[in-house]
Amino acid sequence: MKEEPSTLSAQMSALVVLVGERGDRAAFAALFGHFAPRVKSYLLRLGASSPLAEDLAQEAMLSIWRKAALFDPAKASASTWIFTIARNLRIDAIRRERHPEFDPNDPALVPDEEPRADARMMRDLDDANVHAALAKLSPDQAKVVQMSFFADKPQSQIAKELGVPLGTVKSRMRLAMAHIRAAIGKKT
Amino acid sequence: MTITHHPADELLLRYAAGATDEATSLILATHLALCPICRDTVADAEAVGGALLVSGHPVALKSNALESVIARLDDTVPLPKRPKPEPAPATGVVEPLRSYIGGSFDDVRWNKITRGISFKPLFKSGNARVQLIRTKPGQGVGLHTHRGEEFTLIMTGGYTDVTGHYTRGDLHSATPDILHRPLADEGEDCIVLAVSDAPLKFHNPAVGLIGKIFGF
Repeated sequence: MKEEPSTLSAQMSALVVLVGERGDRAAFAALFGHFAPRVKSYLLRLGASSPLAEDLAQEAMLSIWRKAALFDPAKASASTWIFTIARNLRIDAIRRERHPEFDPNDPALVPDEEPRADARMMRDLDDANVHAALAKLSPDQAKVVQMSFFADKPQSQIAKELGVPLGTVKSRMRLAMAHIRAAIGKKT
Repeated sequence: MTITHHPADELLLRYAAGATDEATSLILATHLALCPICRDTVADAEAVGGALLVSGHPVALKSNALESVIARLDDTVPLPKRPKPEPAPATGVVEPLRSYIGGSFDDVRWNKITRGISFKPLFKSGNARVQLIRTKPGQGVGLHTHRGEEFTLIMTGGYTDVTGHYTRGDLHSATPDILHRPLADEGEDCIVLAVSDAPLKFHNPAVGLIGKIFGF
C-alpha cells in the first residue's frame, strides 16, 4: 500500500501524477483550486493586466493537463514544475520571446553522471524546505532573489533601484544561491 | 569531457527566474545540455521559483474559470510519456540550439570573412546579438576587446587566449576589460555560439571590417 504523502508539496505532486497516469479530473480540479490563484498572483506581480493574468492562469492549467505525464516527482516538486510552466507562458505572451530549454530526452544531451544522480537524491526540494531556506537569507539577499523572480528588470536597473553597484547585486545573488543550496542539502 | 568554465550562479538563477533575454537563455540552456553540474544549480533555483509561487497571496480567478477550463479538457490532447532515450555519442547539435540552426553545423550557411573564419548571425533580442563563429584549426580571431559583455560557448574544437583554454561545453564570459586574441586548437574546426551586447572592438584597423561584420 502506498504511503499517504505527508506534506502539502508531496500531496500536490501526487495529484499531478494522478492526472498524468489516468487523466484524473478530480485531481485536476484540486490542483486548479490550489495553483490557479497562485499562478494568477505570480503573473499580476510581474505586471500582467488582470484579464491577461486570468487568461494565462487558465492556459497554465491546461498545460498542466497536457503535460502531466512528463512530470517526474523525483526531479522537482509540483510547484516547481508549475512555476516553470507559468514562467514560460509569461515570457511567450508578454515578452514575445522564447525561454529556450534543454531537452532531457535529447540523445545528444550529456547525461548525468552516476555520482551526480546520487547528489540530486541528497537534496530535499520539498516546498516547505526550500521556503525555510529562503527565510534564512539576509534581507539584502532575499530582496535581490525576490526581484529576480518578480521585477522583470535588467540587473543594472535593480542595482539602480537599490542604490548599490551592479557587482553588489551579483554578489548578493551568488551568496543567496550558495546559502539556499547549502540549506536544501538533505541532512543524513 | 570535462567542463571547467561555467556560468556564474547568479546568471543561472536569473535564467531560472525567467529574467534573462532569449539570446542569453539560449546560450545558457545549450550549456545546460552539456553540463549536468549546472543543471543541478538550475533545478535548485527553479525550486526557489516553486516556493515563491506557492507562498504568494492567491488571487481568485473568475467564478466560472474552473468550469470553462474543464470544458476545454476534452479538446486538449495530453502528451504521451516519453521513453528514456538511449545514450547517444556526443555528436551533432544539442537542443535547444538545434531548434535554431538544425542538426548539423555543416548545413549552416556560413558567411566566410577570411580564409580561416566564417560566421552566421542568428538573431537579436534586446541589445543582445547571437551568432555562430567558425574558426579553422590553428587560426586566430584578431586582437580585440569587447564594448560590452560577451558570452562564448564552445560547441566543437577549442581555443586558447590569455585567460585560459576552452573546449566543448565551456562557457567563456568576457568583459570589456579583457583584451584577447583567441587562437583555435589544432585538429577540428572551432565552432562557438557567441552572445554579445555590442560589436567587438578590434585593435588593428585592417580588421575593422570584420568588426563591422561581426557587429551586424
